[in-house]
Order: sequence, then structure tokens, then C-alpha cells
Amino acid sequence: MIFAQIFDAINIGLVILDRDLKVCKWNRWMEMNSGIPAAEIVGSHIFDFFPNLKTRKFLRSCKSVFTFGNFCFFSQKLHRCLFPFKTTGCFDTRFEYMQQSCAMGPLRDENNEVKYLFIYVQDVTEAATYEQKLVEMNMRDSLTGIYNRRFLESKLREEFKRHKRYSRPLSIIMFDIDFFKKVNDKYGHQCGDFILKSVSSMIASQIRNVDFLIRYGGEEFCCLLPETALEPALGVAERFRKSVMEHDNNFDGNNIKVTISLGVAEIRPNISSPETLLKKVDEALYRAKRKGRNRVEAMI
Amino acid sequence: MDVKKEKILTDEEVDILQEIMNIAFGQAASDLADVIDIHVILSVPFVKILQAPELPGYIRDEIRDICNISIIEQKFLGKFRGNALMVFPSHAGKELIALFGLEENMHPDADPAETLGRETLMEVGNIMIGACIGKLSELLRDSVTYSPPRIIIENHPCDTIPDSQLAADDSAIVLKTVFSFDRGSISGFVFLVTSHESIQWLKEALRKFIERYE
Repeated sequence: MIFAQIFDAINIGLVILDRDLKVCKWNRWMEMNSGIPAAEIVGSHIFDFFPNLKTRKFLRSCKSVFTFGNFCFFSQKLHRCLFPFKTTGCFDTRFEYMQQSCAMGPLRDENNEVKYLFIYVQDVTEAATYEQKLVEMNMRDSLTGIYNRRFLESKLREEFKRHKRYSRPLSIIMFDIDFFKKVNDKYGHQCGDFILKSVSSMIASQIRNVDFLIRYGGEEFCCLLPETALEPALGVAERFRKSVMEHDNNFDGNNIKVTISLGVAEIRPNISSPETLLKKVDEALYRAKRKGRNRVEAMI
Repeated sequence: MDVKKEKILTDEEVDILQEIMNIAFGQAASDLADVIDIHVILSVPFVKILQAPELPGYIRDEIRDICNISIIEQKFLGKFRGNALMVFPSHAGKELIALFGLEENMHPDADPAETLGRETLMEVGNIMIGACIGKLSELLRDSVTYSPPRIIIENHPCDTIPDSQLAADDSAIVLKTVFSFDRGSISGFVFLVTSHESIQWLKEALRKFIERYE
């Protein structure tokens, strides 16, 4: 059968199983990526070689292919992969295993009866990697690498919902580098960028991994503290203030000292929206500025 | 008023189709229980002939009482061909994750619950649509293949389903069933919209079907 050559030529994994889920066909792509030669696996139960396939979903899918002649789809998003193959040819990826988009369907005999099922396996690692990078880029600030304002807005909405359900505390710190314009004017914008990176990475190293550090605007930052009430949040803010003040920023032979002013707010019953919370913390920050900078102020 | 309707299928043909649907969906429900280990109730399907552009309005009227909906679409391709639409209330995805035992598939670094909810809707949609179409085409002696399911409307207020999404052929046979899982806590609708090209074939298949019993 001349057309059957396509089976081994195609850049997709193809597997055919009989009703007992024994392997009948295992194409070259599958041999190459699994390292299992067809001669070895054909005739064996698929679970003998891939015991992790034996999930409720997989068994149900096989059953529905044989019962309804259904197609079943195993999306990369939900399943990551059906067959755990090492990633090959895709170096710049964070996935340990090849990301796969798979589907399963019936093969019928001349009487229209479903005799076999086929599985095809597509390598989508590259696309999944791009997607992941895009998602990352969409929520991170390109200069400092910390989260961006868009991320804050969606995270705050989420945290508000959580707060409504479980009434757990949530605080936010907003801070701003004092006289940042002067740094820019005196040392240049490259130095300004250096200071932004230096301050953000130092603060980032001090927070818990449940907290979120966000670049809110030019030299303005926010830190979201889940499960934290106002009082402890004030303590955290004070720690930030001290460490920034004491930190040496060495740029181009100059040691540049900067300070920050901070406002702190927490969710209260009268604060019904993320916008109100941001307004409260912004007011506190401006009070810190007005009262002479390099200090922490709580919401009123 | 229904001049166009008469052109598509005769009253007798609609009756036969209704009968086939009753059988198909009855079998589908019992096979589904066997395959997915979940008790599914599929209502007696309802057959209606519509012009395709009327469909969004029809869906809006049918599901008025559900607030926000998501719609899964899957194309089926055989001699009998068209689109299957499955309408779920928006919250259903998250509840179905547990019901269908899909947590075990969740990867530790899995996407947020919303993504999983969407994927679950597609997966459940695929099973339900496959069962319904599969049985129907079996009775009509056809065999069909399917496109992967996709979400065409997500978390949308049902009174504002856009018309453009669903306008297809000039005419559509709408087969509607109401399903529910898990003692009725999650329910929705399946609409099958057959494409114009398969209507000639369908008429023929209906005739052959009834001949087998005459």
C-alpha cells in the first residue's frame, strides 16, 4: 500500500490501539520521540509502557471512542502531554516535557463497526512557550522585571473577591522614590533606570513569595500583602524605608543615596472597590510626601 | 407563515426526525451513564426548522432565565453535517472539573482555574455532542468526524449573543435537548444546526429509515 508511507513520513505521532488497548501501530515519529521501537511495543498493552496514561479521562475517552465513535481531544492547556517525551529541538523552553495536543478517534471496518482507535500526537512545545512568554510579558514591567500595573489591576480585583468570600485581611503599600527627578537631572536617565532597578530588586528580595511587587508608574511602586493587616504592613513599610535609605547605589563611580516615601492601606468594610483602596493608599503616600518625605503614613 | 419551513422538510419528515431523535438521545443517555459514570438526563429532544439568522434570537428566548452563558461549538462532518452548539451557564466549568474527575489531569503548574474551567467545558461539550451526534448518525447509517471543540462565546450575558457568530446557511434544522448532570445542579442545552447541503441527504436517510420499519 503506497499511501501507507505517509504514516511514517508525517511529522506527527500516530498510534493505533485495538479494543483491548494493545498497540497495533506505532509510527516512526513515536519511535523517535519515545525511544521505543515499534517492534518492541507492538502487541503490548499501552499501559505496560505508559502506566501514567491510565487515568479516568483516558479510559473514558477510549470507551467513548468505541461506544460512540467519538473523537476525544487532549488539549495542551489541560493535559500538558499524553506521552511524557523529553523536549527536543526547542532549547529556549521552561517545559521539562514536550507539550502535546492530542486527539483520539475511531477506525471502522467495512461494516462501520469501530475496530480500533487512533491517537495522534502533535508537538506544540514551541507555541506553548511563546504563549507563556506573552503571558509573562503582559504582566511584567520590562525595565525592572517586577509586575506591572495591568497585573496589579487584575490581581486586586481577584483579591477583593477573595476578601469578600473569606474576609481575610489584605494590605497594600504604595511608595515613591523621593526627588527622583533630581537624580535624573543630575546623573542622567540611565542612572535613573539603574536606581529603579536597584530599588525594586532590593525590595523584591525582602518580600514573601505570596506578596506582589508592582511598578505602578514612573518611580511609583506598590506592594500587595495578602493575609496582612494594617499594623504588620506598617512594619513591613518601615523596613522597606530603612533598607532603601541605607542602600548604596553605585553607578558610574558615584554612590547615590535615595529615600522613599510610603503610604499603607488595608481593606475595610467601607472600602468597596479596588479603586477606593488605591485612592486611600495614594492619599497616605501624599501625606508622607507632605510631611517631609522618607517616612511611612497609614491610611486614615 | 412557514413557507420556507415547508420547503426544507415535510411534516412527515419532521415527525420521523423527531422519532429518530427520541431513540438516539435515549440511547445516548444510557451509554453516557456507562461511559462517564455520571448520570445524565437528556430531555426528549425538540425539532424545529429555522432560518439560521433567527437562531441567536431563538437561543436568547430559550435560555432567558440563565444569566451568563458560554457556548461550545463543534463541527461535525459526514453526509450529515453541521454545527453542534452546547450552551452552559458560565459557572458550570468549575463545577464540572470535579464532577468529571479532571483534577487528576491538572498539572501542578497548571493554568488558573478559569482556563481549566474553559477546557473542562470543551471536554464535556465534546463528550455530550459526540454522544448525541454519534447515535443519531448511527441510526441514519452515517459516520461522522468532528472538529476540535472551541468556545465561541464565553461568559456572555445571554440577552446579547451577537448575531454574526451564528449566522450560517440559509436554513437550519434545530434539534434542541436539555441536559443535566449531577442531580440537576448543572444543566444546559444542545442545539444541532445542520447545514443546508446535508438536507437532501437527510431526506433520503429519513425515507430509508422509515422503510426499514414499513
